[in-house]
Amino acid sequence: MLARVAENVYWMGRYLERMDDTARLINATTHMLIDSHEDTRMSWPVLIDVLGEEAGGFVQEGSSSELGVMHYLIVAEDSNASIRHSCAQVRTNARCVREVIPRDFWEEINSLNLFVQSECKLASSRAKRYNLMAQVIRRCQAVVGVMDGTMLRDETYQLFNIGRHLERADMTTRIMDVLILQQLAPTSSPQSRRHFQWSSLLSALGATESYRRYFAQEEGETDVIDFLLTYGPFPRSVIYCMEKIEWEVRDLPNKKDVLKTTAKIRKALDSDPLNTLSTLELHGLIDTVQAGLIDLHGALVQQALHAPAA
Amino acid sequence: MSDVIALDPYRPYPDCYDELVDAHGNARPQALAITRFIMQNSADELAARQAELDRTISSMGVSFTVYSDSQNIDRAWPLDVVPRTIAASDWERTSDGLKQRLQALNLFIDDLYNEQKVLKDGIVPKELVLNSKNFLAPCQGFQPAYGVWANICGTDLVRDGEGRFLVLEDNLRVPSGVSYMLENRTVMKRVFPELFAETTIGPVDEYPVRLWDMLASLSPRDDVTPRIVVLTPGIYNSAYFEHSFLAQQMGCLLVENHDLYVEDDKVFVKTLRGPEQVDVIYRRIDDTFIDPKVFRKDSALGVPGLIGAWRAGNVAIANAPGSGVADDKVIYAFVPSIIRYYLKQDPLIENVPTFLCMDEKERDHVLANLDKLVVKPANESGGYGILIGPRATEEERARCAAAIRENPRNFIAQPTLNLSTAPTLCEEGVLEPRHLDLRPFILQGEKLYCTNGGLSRVALRRGSLVVNSSQGGGSKDTWIINHGS
Repeated sequence: MLARVAENVYWMGRYLERMDDTARLINATTHMLIDSHEDTRMSWPVLIDVLGEEAGGFVQEGSSSELGVMHYLIVAEDSNASIRHSCAQVRTNARCVREVIPRDFWEEINSLNLFVQSECKLASSRAKRYNLMAQVIRRCQAVVGVMDGTMLRDETYQLFNIGRHLERADMTTRIMDVLILQQLAPTSSPQSRRHFQWSSLLSALGATESYRRYFAQEEGETDVIDFLLTYGPFPRSVIYCMEKIEWEVRDLPNKKDVLKTTAKIRKALDSDPLNTLSTLELHGLIDTVQAGLIDLHGALVQQALHAPAA
Repeated sequence: MSDVIALDPYRPYPDCYDELVDAHGNARPQALAITRFIMQNSADELAARQAELDRTISSMGVSFTVYSDSQNIDRAWPLDVVPRTIAASDWERTSDGLKQRLQALNLFIDDLYNEQKVLKDGIVPKELVLNSKNFLAPCQGFQPAYGVWANICGTDLVRDGEGRFLVLEDNLRVPSGVSYMLENRTVMKRVFPELFAETTIGPVDEYPVRLWDMLASLSPRDDVTPRIVVLTPGIYNSAYFEHSFLAQQMGCLLVENHDLYVEDDKVFVKTLRGPEQVDVIYRRIDDTFIDPKVFRKDSALGVPGLIGAWRAGNVAIANAPGSGVADDKVIYAFVPSIIRYYLKQDPLIENVPTFLCMDEKERDHVLANLDKLVVKPANESGGYGILIGPRATEEERARCAAAIRENPRNFIAQPTLNLSTAPTLCEEGVLEPRHLDLRPFILQGEKLYCTNGGLSRVALRRGSLVVNSSQGGGSKDTWIINHGS
């Protein structure tokens, strides 16, 4: 596989996962809002902070309302965080690598993009938005399903999965951070609301039932944080993503730095009894993991995806 | 089954051959199934199938690029719901004629770059070839595998008023369109499954395999599975869709120039695992851009040293550099003589009658009849620079006459043809005749192969003869039908 193509495939995986996770985040946040009492106010721009955008520029545009933020996360074509933008990126990347992906996979991505570009034009009522996001999530999963059922297990498949899992680990920690930041923010809900907020987090990651089973089986002190960061069998936990990346890079010629970075992230997650961390410490830990993921991305594009010198 | 079905109220043009019906509007034998379908189902049903077809094309991502349209790098490919049908018996002879033509053209090109017997024997005027900008001196004295230079040829055919196929032009450089032929078929199978069940329609989908086999037959290394790459100018090229489609369907790497390099007269591709030697390059870049060391120094698309590696016999290039010398509308006029000269056979398919402006008598005729003729520059492709006499203004004709006088060698003229038509779904669900042409694809490596039919292009505006998609043309799926005896 060509080095140039490798990077495109990797990004295709990242953007597809980002769309999926953004849609999940939007629905979970909305869900939390529906459940909440009137005294709880969401600080909407936190969502934008969390998705790595410079909230500053956005806030200056004068919109921090729910509708404004949703527009930014779903509709805006010039926002790097929007679902429409991510989807267009998936399609562009796929177009550049169509020669290495199966026809069904390409067609599924095309349909996804046609759907998103025509349906995601308005961030309208919550009810409509819920259904729309649910459809985006399902259609993203359909793309992954078609890939999984048809694609040769070669470098293309491996790099697509590396992209997806790196993005997923990133988004899982970002989504966790939304709630943590909500608790740090002055408008935060009282501590007693902590429980239902964590359950929104689980629902954002499609993890509610998995978590219940984990909780019922595990002995000793366990909680949502342990589950999402370190529980290997759960496919959206950070540790699962690291294991998956380590597995998929096994055949790449320049994998040393990638493996060094995944090891660093594992170590950070291993070092403390997570359930005793304060909100502030937890925020710090997530920062550390995120810094690790940035290094991981760097190790990939600067080393692993580079053609060795002739 | 009843043999007479009239396609009411469709009426073909009086002077043109219609592909589906005869002069009375009765279905030709090869068009019975589709005609019956149209007559048994309402106009609404046909429109519904067209809508389904359009949706299928967008979800399949079948697109093409128009350079002038900077906002939108790909547009949905236009396909008409009514197929064009050709009888298998009619096709057989045509397909033989196309193979015959390519074989002769390849003998001709090989001769030009080597002994030049054809020039010495005065079959083709010497100055015509040696002064052509497509005659590439660095290719002289070389002989590619099997002596074949143009491995992939897209020949444009039209039918005259009597329904005879004639060759309009040969495309021997980087002919495109075959991916649309294949995608049209995939779409039609999804939209008209019942017609495919009840008719014997010649399949087209073996093309990528045939192409791979042909390319593999050119490999200089016979001890390993050849490493074949498709060389594209990149995603902004108008035929990028096709480049990536063919690479995908053949399972080959799609490369841009910077993915390749030459060392010790060998070509390597840069992969994640390090460099790998390339055996065959299916290049979709024009001749003079492929190696800045030999041809255009300003080429940003080429690979330095490629021609050296090719001449050293370490890599095959398809089509071979220099094959464009026979892709010239003046040389075209000599192809029937070229066939007789090399193969000692009569051409199975005739040319469209052609006047050469380099000949004084013919030039005078052309200049006196500009309002009746189509004038074409020798070396343009894609329909550029053509004068359609009867439709041109007095001023355009005067400008064309001046250009002919200044450089007569560069022009040919042909009578305006009554191109054949086929029923085409137009506004408000009405079927009207629209003119069309046909581009089959012929491969020559170790073996000769011709596609089952080809890409039919349709002029979508009433009366128009312009079929190029970049100028608003559409397409039709082409069915070679074996309707039995």
